[in-house]
Amino acid sequence: MTNSSVQKNKLTSLQTEHSSVLTEIAKYKLLVDSVQDYAIFLLDQDGYVQTWNKGAEKIKGYKPEEIIGKHFSSFYIPRDIKDNKPARELEIAQKVGRTEDEDWRVRKDGTRFWANVVITALFEDGELVGFAKVTRDLTERKQQEDALRKANVILKQQQKELQELNNSKDEFISLASHQLRTPATAIKQLLGLVLEGLYGEVSDQILPIVKKSYDSNQRQINIINSLLKVAQVDAGKVVLNKSPVILDELIEDVISEQQENIAAHEQTVSFTPSAAETVILADPQYLRMALENILDNASKYSFTGTAIDIKTEVTPTSVTIAITDKGVGISPENIGTLFDKFNRIPNDLSQTVPGTGLGLYWMKKIIDLHDGTIDVESRLGEGTTFKISLPREEAYA
Amino acid sequence: MRKILLVEDEEILRDTYQLIIGTQPYILDVAQNGQEALAWCEKRQYDLILVDLMMPVMSGVQFLERFMPVKPSDTRVIVLSNLSSGRDYERAMELGVDRIVLKADTTPKELLSTIRYQLEAPASI
Repeated sequence: MTNSSVQKNKLTSLQTEHSSVLTEIAKYKLLVDSVQDYAIFLLDQDGYVQTWNKGAEKIKGYKPEEIIGKHFSSFYIPRDIKDNKPARELEIAQKVGRTEDEDWRVRKDGTRFWANVVITALFEDGELVGFAKVTRDLTERKQQEDALRKANVILKQQQKELQELNNSKDEFISLASHQLRTPATAIKQLLGLVLEGLYGEVSDQILPIVKKSYDSNQRQINIINSLLKVAQVDAGKVVLNKSPVILDELIEDVISEQQENIAAHEQTVSFTPSAAETVILADPQYLRMALENILDNASKYSFTGTAIDIKTEVTPTSVTIAITDKGVGISPENIGTLFDKFNRIPNDLSQTVPGTGLGLYWMKKIIDLHDGTIDVESRLGEGTTFKISLPREEAYA
Repeated sequence: MRKILLVEDEEILRDTYQLIIGTQPYILDVAQNGQEALAWCEKRQYDLILVDLMMPVMSGVQFLERFMPVKPSDTRVIVLSNLSSGRDYERAMELGVDRIVLKADTTPKELLSTIRYQLEAPASI
């Protein structure tokens, strides 16, 4: 091959390489130009706009001929221009290579948009030749975030107001109950004076009327007491004073105290204690009241002449007290709301049995405070088993 | 005759307890709060004091804190309370009262028999 043909071949190869490089550059330009969701453009060393793509036109509203050659500070809001932010950002980008910012920017028509801006310094042989600027319009996201933040603020405010309302309601119930209890107690004592004959014999005609008034007053006192107990537990004022409790003895005490009431319904109670003596750490006073409550409930919602069974079962970590009655039972759809405040499940006896719908609510709260659980198994018309499980502290297990 | 001091801020309950206690041959004085009760106790020595817990001016607990350390050994103290638990209830127990009676749970006869029992019981050590 001659020298001239070698040179010709080299030239052809260089031309091909050059043309391939130009094609690559054209491709990149086409790519940048056609991107619509990002404003991608170049600035010179002083911040004057050199190039402008479709995305920049779409986001900022300028046509290339309107903005090329203009300073990029026209995209900034007056406050930032006053603070010299455009020049500061270029300075930072030059020093550290890039800078990123999220803030308000201005469109050609003066409207603002929330922008994410990345400015990258461009160097050639160590010398600054300009900056690449990529801007995204995040207004929609910002609006969503702001709306969410506002909604959160409103929600928190509403929560606070609801809490305050709830507190005022609790205070009201507590105050009203205290106020109601004094006259109710006086009526009980005054009627008691008459009923017990301390001011002389009462005629047979008057006696049943006084007795009815006395019973009605007692019912009123019971309601007031329930309201007060619930207000106290709702306000977090019940503080357990735990001590070691021999559970089986406590249950036997509760049964013995309720014996008269149960016998009045011609019902019987049997108790099967666990094989070994069970000592748990509990507040004896509150646990006793909770058990009294559940036994009273079992008796009230059982028919005359039926039996109530109580059993305690022990596992290494817990003790379960199962109270089974042969009463009216609870339908599956009502079990879920059984422990709701003021809830009275409609059944064959609910019309005749007085109640406030607060007893089980209060009892559940007391068991919760003991870190215990309550399970309910029931069949309508056959009876109910309440299973109260309480943790056994390691020291007493 | 045995002397009893009743300390109760609620007028209707004061009247009621006076009617109950008045059925028996006791001398009864009445105070509306702990402060009045202390004043009575300076003038007279009582066989029994019936004291409410929640009262304005000076509460039952405040009265007991002042009175119990200087209480004559023959004087019995019964607390008349609306509460069956709580800080005041526990404090009254700590201060060594002889009995706590729940107002709404007690009938007049029960109250009278409690009073009689306390007046007849031997002095505690």
